[in-house]
Amino acid sequence: MPEIRAEITANVWQVLAEEGQMVAEGDEICILESMKMEIPVVTDTPGVVRELHVAPEQVVQEGDLIAVIDES
Amino acid sequence: MSTTGGGDVHNWGPLVGDLARRREQALGLGGPERVERQRGLGKLTVRERLDLLLDVGSWVEYGMLADHMDAGLGDRYLAADGAVTGVGRIDGRLVAVAAYDFTVMAGSMGNVGEAKIRRLRHHAVSQRMPMVWLLDSAGARIQSTSGSSFAGAGDLFREQVAMSGVVPMVAAMLGHCAAGTAYIPALADFVPMVQGTSSMALGGRHLVKAAVGEDVTEEEMGGSAVHTKVSGVADLEVADDEACLDAVRNYLSFFPAHNRERPPLRVCTDPVERRVEELYDIVPTAPRRAYDVRKVVTAVVDDGEVFWMKPDWAKNLVTGFARIGGEPIGVVANQPMVLGGALDVNAADKAARFVWLCDAFGIPLVFLHDVPGFIVGSAVEKQGIIRHGAKMLFAVSEATVPKISVVLRKSYGAGYFVMNGLAYEADYIVAWPTAEIAVMGPDGAVSIIHRKTIDALPEEEQAAKRLELAEEIRANIDPYVAAGHGQLDDVIDPADTRAAIARGLDISREKQITRPWRKHGVLPV
Repeated sequence: MPEIRAEITANVWQVLAEEGQMVAEGDEICILESMKMEIPVVTDTPGVVRELHVAPEQVVQEGDLIAVIDES
Repeated sequence: MSTTGGGDVHNWGPLVGDLARRREQALGLGGPERVERQRGLGKLTVRERLDLLLDVGSWVEYGMLADHMDAGLGDRYLAADGAVTGVGRIDGRLVAVAAYDFTVMAGSMGNVGEAKIRRLRHHAVSQRMPMVWLLDSAGARIQSTSGSSFAGAGDLFREQVAMSGVVPMVAAMLGHCAAGTAYIPALADFVPMVQGTSSMALGGRHLVKAAVGEDVTEEEMGGSAVHTKVSGVADLEVADDEACLDAVRNYLSFFPAHNRERPPLRVCTDPVERRVEELYDIVPTAPRRAYDVRKVVTAVVDDGEVFWMKPDWAKNLVTGFARIGGEPIGVVANQPMVLGGALDVNAADKAARFVWLCDAFGIPLVFLHDVPGFIVGSAVEKQGIIRHGAKMLFAVSEATVPKISVVLRKSYGAGYFVMNGLAYEADYIVAWPTAEIAVMGPDGAVSIIHRKTIDALPEEEQAAKRLELAEEIRANIDPYVAAGHGQLDDVIDPADTRAAIARGLDISREKQITRPWRKHGVLPV
């Protein structure tokens, strides 16, 4: 299943998706905060959010797992 | 039949007929079966490609009647020795083309074919015209060169290096290319790749299996997805051969024939004074909010036409060719939508190469700033962000073409420098009222300047104090402070961005920069 990982070390500012939710290509899963900017994390694949590994205020490192999308 | 007997013999018929038969044979390429296989893969033949690339009737071929001339290959016939070479025209302008023919021994590089291409390289340089390679070749013809006579080989790359920056070089990837034919694109300026049918790798599939034991397809190893999205070796992924050849024509339309000629102007019906009010909707004034900077570029340039370079790689910075008032420009813009527009190693790499390319061929550069800086932290230090950042700094500093800067919103720290800040010989630098130029953002600055003050406070008061001090710093981060110091040439209404760039280009066309003599700088890579 496609995994969405953090592309930059950041604070998690807002989590917009919930586990079990249907998402379309381009939907925002969460918004990170880093380098003075809001960095939206979007899904490239449509499907169901099977796993969500972030919560607001949490710090993610580059490469950390944010979510798993179930395409089926 | 005798054509050479005594007396007054004028027996031309057989001679001309023999010549026509030889031409016919060359036009038959690798034979009907292999041509069929080529088409079955969704690829065009080498001669169909030339027809699409070049203006009708402009082709002058060199060496159509070539063959392998290798006793070791016996009496088999290899049409044009697998490499069709010649000179044609694109939009009426001369271009040298070397096209490998996969239907002839997998387009392998034979001695005669390579000699033809060598001759063509020399022609392209001495006549100062762009050189285009249409690559569809398995690489070296090992059957002819497996021994140590290889010790004399390699002139093709050395000569290509000498051509770099003298004439434009394009390597179109139209098939699976390995080793030799993978280095040609590495040394070319522009590399489009056809999705699904092209690849490039230092070692082909069979060699990789033998040398390192990896079982991998050509597509997985070096297909267009790898090189346009991950490695950054190629510039553009295209759907098929037609789209690829169209991209080559379009790319060259921005370039002069050589480095001593000006880029070609085009008649422009889009008024340079056009107010671009869409920008009010495209760009949020909220400084942390992301948007798509490609929309800004498209809105500003002539007729909304942009030729993006490396659009799928290092997407936190966009590069592309466009025109303002009919004049070609190279645009470098930060992309807030990806990584907040912060610069990383790949973005710096992409920008440096693009700036060198534009500078080599006299194409003015336009920088659109919206950059929070270079990414900091241990992850990027391990990737060598300092040397990659230095490379971009080096390229922008070295460039002597007209350089125009527009600061849209943020431009912090070294990010401001590498995006062509005032000190980088910017010929015209303007900012929007939203511009924030400073060594770093207020929050970072507070942590450094007031760390002791904040640490001395009880914990519950620290956050409020931090905010208060940040606001004090923020008050000084204002385009009118920079303009007040004369460090910005103007602060502009965003809707006047197109007109401002046109003004900048107009007043810097005769730019001349003289630097101390040196053999060359020592480039950070």
